[in-house]
Amino acid sequence: MTVNNTIAHQRLILSGDRERFKELLRKRLIECGWRDQVRMLCRDVVKERENSDVSFDMLVNRVTPRARALVPDTVKKELLQKIKTHLLTQKDQ
Amino acid sequence: MNDNGCIHLSNFKAAKGTNPYKIVHAFFVSCTSFEARRYKATSCLCFACGQPGPRMHSCLHCIYFACYAGHIQEHSKSKKHFLYVDLSYGNVYCTQCQDYIYDRELTEIAMSHRLKEAKSLGISAPFMPWLPNTNEALALRRLRKRRLISPHTTIGLRGLQNLGSTCFMNCIVQTLIHTPLLRDYFLGEKHKCKAQGTGKCLVCEVSKLFQEFYSGAKTPLTLHRLLHLIWTHARHLAGYEQQDAHEFFIATLDVLHRHCMNGVEDTEKKENGRCNCIIDQIFTGGLQSDVVCTSCSGVSTTIDPFWDISLDVAGPGSLQACLERFTRAEHLGSAAKIKCSKCRAYRESTKQLTLETLPIVASFHLKRFEHSSQIDRKISAFVSFPAELDMTPFMSSHRRAVDVGVDNNNAPEGIFEDNRYSLFAVVNHLGSLDAGHYTAYVRQMKGSWFKCDDHMITRASLREVLDSEGYLLFYHKTVLEYECDVS
Ligand SMILES: [Zn+2]
Ligand SMILES: [Zn+2]
Ligand SMILES: [Zn+2]
Ligand SMILES: [Zn+2]
Ligand SMILES: [Zn+2]
Ligand SMILES: [Zn+2]
Repeated sequence: MTVNNTIAHQRLILSGDRERFKELLRKRLIECGWRDQVRMLCRDVVKERENSDVSFDMLVNRVTPRARALVPDTVKKELLQKIKTHLLTQKDQ
Repeated sequence: MNDNGCIHLSNFKAAKGTNPYKIVHAFFVSCTSFEARRYKATSCLCFACGQPGPRMHSCLHCIYFACYAGHIQEHSKSKKHFLYVDLSYGNVYCTQCQDYIYDRELTEIAMSHRLKEAKSLGISAPFMPWLPNTNEALALRRLRKRRLISPHTTIGLRGLQNLGSTCFMNCIVQTLIHTPLLRDYFLGEKHKCKAQGTGKCLVCEVSKLFQEFYSGAKTPLTLHRLLHLIWTHARHLAGYEQQDAHEFFIATLDVLHRHCMNGVEDTEKKENGRCNCIIDQIFTGGLQSDVVCTSCSGVSTTIDPFWDISLDVAGPGSLQACLERFTRAEHLGSAAKIKCSKCRAYRESTKQLTLETLPIVASFHLKRFEHSSQIDRKISAFVSFPAELDMTPFMSSHRRAVDVGVDNNNAPEGIFEDNRYSLFAVVNHLGSLDAGHYTAYVRQMKGSWFKCDDHMITRASLREVLDSEGYLLFYHKTVLEYECDVS
């Protein structure tokens, strides 16, 4: 992370906009069914190992690559575009 | 993963209670104040490597920040501190058990902080799934009969007998029965009636009607009782001659709203001066009117509630074009001077209507019937309307931002707002003014449409719906916000 990035990041937290973006992303992921899909992926992993313990790290390692690939392009684009517009309007203040 | 906690967390809670978790969570996970956000913005870096991640944690014992790439493990070894709070999600990690530990008490603290945070930022509350309370769980166990609702279900689809030109009423009843939030309200038995059993409450009658529609039976229904009740409550609509479906729609909302008011205490009746009954919660929006004096540029603003928007049909066009025209600034001319409070004189002015708040159900009335002293006529021009509609361009906040110019404005309005709507019902008028017939298209599940022609229900395609000559168009908000309920 560069210094500029850090400042932009801090500003986002300070204004609460980071939470707002997070909430927006959360909503979109629920809306498009992503969360349910990921839930099913997790369930499959747990089922596979019926008799042994499942740890969080193992779940993350197994599910993350597939979960990332499932995020729709439209959601990524919308977030990217909105964050960009937002940072540009904040820049000269 | 364990949802019963672990011995290390139990020991920690026994010694220090939940306060350490509360503090870390309120300052670095869900910031409940501006001060907390300042701490979070400036200090969430790993004390060992200076990086903001991966997966930042805070030691619960001494608030030491460390990342998951080896540094919480290091701290744990050297200090014998085993418990760490994940700063993104608030979960507690135990390095002894090498996994996240779930604890009911801490989960509740986290949830209350998330609600507080949402409230302080003015965003909608996080989604929480429904969990049955003791009574509901009991009822579910007692009532063994279950019905599976498949995506292709036809439950809820029933024809309505025509009692002699009552199609104007049938098409509105079909629309209301298929309004998602209204259906949920009535099937959830949310109407608590004061006039119970007297047989005079129209809301109770509608509640019964929902039960009959969704009973699973397929035979057409007869609306005798409803007709009678409306006849006693809205006399101007009485009689069996053909009526206007739009008038009936508004009159029905009005009667229902008045009956809702009968059932509740005066104190709950109004929330910030507005009626909070189910009809108003679903159908009421706020229309802003700005009148600008052309001499002094003084603005006088008023906001009025609305249940529907009536749009002029000039000729072929689109719903969006009609809305664009509806919200355009209009010069009132010299014949319609208005007294300006600043100039203290009658001045020419411009007037602009915009939508200040949007209802959950947006109802549009295309004015296809023209009544004048010379002639009554019907305008059959084709007006296209979309299945998905974004209302942002017609909002007061958006119009203001456009007028001012986006450059010298703060965060662009609407970046976090969601004003998307999707079509769920269309009422059509077929034939001429005096020998016409009403039908309705309703959406059953997302993407599955049916045509309601009195007692006949037939499957329809979205194309067919969009190609029809719409008279009343009903859109439902796509995403519903949750209200914060923090005391
Ligand atoms: Zn420590
Ligand atoms: Zn580190
Ligand atoms: Zn442990
Ligand atoms: Zn009642
Ligand atoms: Zn009301
Ligand atoms: Zn003036």
